[in-house]
Amino acid sequence: MPRILISDPTLRDGNHAVQHKLSLSQIAAYAAAADAALVPIVEVGHGNGLAASSLQIGEAPATDREMLTVARENLKRSKLCIHVMPGFATIPRDLKPAIDIGVDVVRVASHCSEADITQRHIAYVRERGKQVFGVLMMTHMLTKERLTEEALKMESYGAEAIILMDSAGAFLPGDVAERVTALVAALGIPVGFHAHNNLGMAIANSITALQSGATIVDGTARGFGAGAGNAQLEVLVAVMHKLGYETGIDLYKILDAADLAEREIMPSVPTISSVSIVSGLAGVFSGFVKHVNRVSSQFNVDPRDVFFELGRRRIVAGQEDLIIEVANALASGAALPAGEVH
Amino acid sequence: MRGSSILITGGTGFVGSWLTEMIAFLNDRHGYGIKVTLLSRRVSTFGERAPHLAGRADVKLVENDVKNIASLAPDTQWIIHAAASPDRRTHFSNPVQTMETIVSGTHSLLSAASRLTPLERILCLSSGLVYGPQNWKDGALSEKAFSGMDCGSPANLYAESKRAAEMLTAAYRSQFGVPVLNARLFAFIGPYQLLDRPWAVNNFLSDALRGGPIRVQGSGETVRSYMYGSDLADWLFRLLVSGRVGGAYNVGSPAGISLRDLAVKIADCCPGRPGIELNTLPTAKLPSTQWLPDVTLAQTECRLQVRTSLDEAIRRTVTWHASRLREPATV
Repeated sequence: MPRILISDPTLRDGNHAVQHKLSLSQIAAYAAAADAALVPIVEVGHGNGLAASSLQIGEAPATDREMLTVARENLKRSKLCIHVMPGFATIPRDLKPAIDIGVDVVRVASHCSEADITQRHIAYVRERGKQVFGVLMMTHMLTKERLTEEALKMESYGAEAIILMDSAGAFLPGDVAERVTALVAALGIPVGFHAHNNLGMAIANSITALQSGATIVDGTARGFGAGAGNAQLEVLVAVMHKLGYETGIDLYKILDAADLAEREIMPSVPTISSVSIVSGLAGVFSGFVKHVNRVSSQFNVDPRDVFFELGRRRIVAGQEDLIIEVANALASGAALPAGEVH
Repeated sequence: MRGSSILITGGTGFVGSWLTEMIAFLNDRHGYGIKVTLLSRRVSTFGERAPHLAGRADVKLVENDVKNIASLAPDTQWIIHAAASPDRRTHFSNPVQTMETIVSGTHSLLSAASRLTPLERILCLSSGLVYGPQNWKDGALSEKAFSGMDCGSPANLYAESKRAAEMLTAAYRSQFGVPVLNARLFAFIGPYQLLDRPWAVNNFLSDALRGGPIRVQGSGETVRSYMYGSDLADWLFRLLVSGRVGGAYNVGSPAGISLRDLAVKIADCCPGRPGIELNTLPTAKLPSTQWLPDVTLAQTECRLQVRTSLDEAIRRTVTWHASRLREPATV
């Protein structure tokens, strides 16, 4: 069985679940626990990545510098990783100081059809001699052929691995298998997979990705992440060990880290809410759940209708403003509730 | 070639710069009296990169896109068609422009050249990628080593464009008698090659010159070969003059080296001897490949040989880049 690289975005994707309010002490506590469990890569930051803290998406209580500094102090063996979307993070203002602090791995992300925007950021990380992965988000929105083309762009820019994100938790195992298989065949670099659990498929999809040739998978403590959460890391590790995959992670200590995370950093353990199921079916970014619930309440509309309408309009992260427009349209009768369409 | 006029398209890039260095040498040391015209979409940067060439009286810079050429200077006798970027980042980000430059550019050039009365030869620069995917065990690639390629995959766009350009040269030779031949280029090293280019040797040099470590993806078993820029210029000039019209010749070093050994050689040439990090990702083994030219044809028909060893090529390249890094304004 091949060695599998596990990346843990508990302290980044999990921030979506708490409106990006993870504190420095929480970051320190979980980073130390993950480090003790020998998690290879620990991702830290605002839910939308470097420099994404804002009134619209959610303000973090600490700066990127503060978050990365405290994480760096607590990661002795694990690599410190950041998620970078070029629309938020600029190279001189944000990426350069982050690498100066001691970031080891940079995951440069774009919407699945917009890999072109990652070229300069990927090149800069390579120039600094750090590891850089390309991340394609919302990958259920593209066919395997188009995804392969976008992944090839990132590989040509210098990405050392490509991570496919099921940002909406919309995939079934067959969807994962066909996409990962296509990328593994076309690329000369490793392929990874990042699951969301809206349809209860996060672990199954992650294992399917591995069985299709992926060699990198993401998982978070208790599944702490946007919407219905991610693949539950401690379950993922246990299943992988049972299947014979080598992860390098200490099982007891990752179980301890998950217990600590539940106790110290999450107000509630992620569950698959009814709205999350709908967002997965509609193929809408999992991180929209809290925004949709809030706005739906304001406009007195059914959040499930809002999700289906957002899915019909193929809305992606960064278009949060349209949640209000959709809710308003539903409230005023300008858009039909999904129940009257299907 | 004494007293003749040469046009080099793509004249301000890596290949064009080395060809111009060669012409300057022939003119200054041996009194050849060659006049060269460098055609490029961006001639302004050439003055910054190579002021000693751009300012010469025997070098004329013309800013134009090769695909927009309608006519050429009537005294043009020799042409080396080097316009096209081998940078695969451009191929994936701008596939239409890439294909236009290679196919339409070659078409425009051949059409204009077919009306030149004094024309002696055209050498079109193609690529060793035209052969398509190869089995690792097949060894060095001869000029007949073609395999099938998926013509619908963007990954093959550059190679397919070069194949189309080669076919255009055959069409112009057949229908209009244009005296054209092709050189299929492999991998090169030397001054004028930018460190940000997405090839292993450039990444290794960049890592090493910044203090290292040199990061090698995978185990470093992939095999490549590297020809120094001055040898490249020498080979292209000799092919232009003595190559067979209608022929296609591999151009590159036949001496293969693993990327692991290449990293060691580069580290040995750099101050502080930076470390080498293999298998930067601890996952499944990455596929290793081999891409080597069989240059028997060029050696036997045109008596070409590699004169600069890889060790010497690396030493000169490191020295050149190190001096440039100390003077960033001149890069």
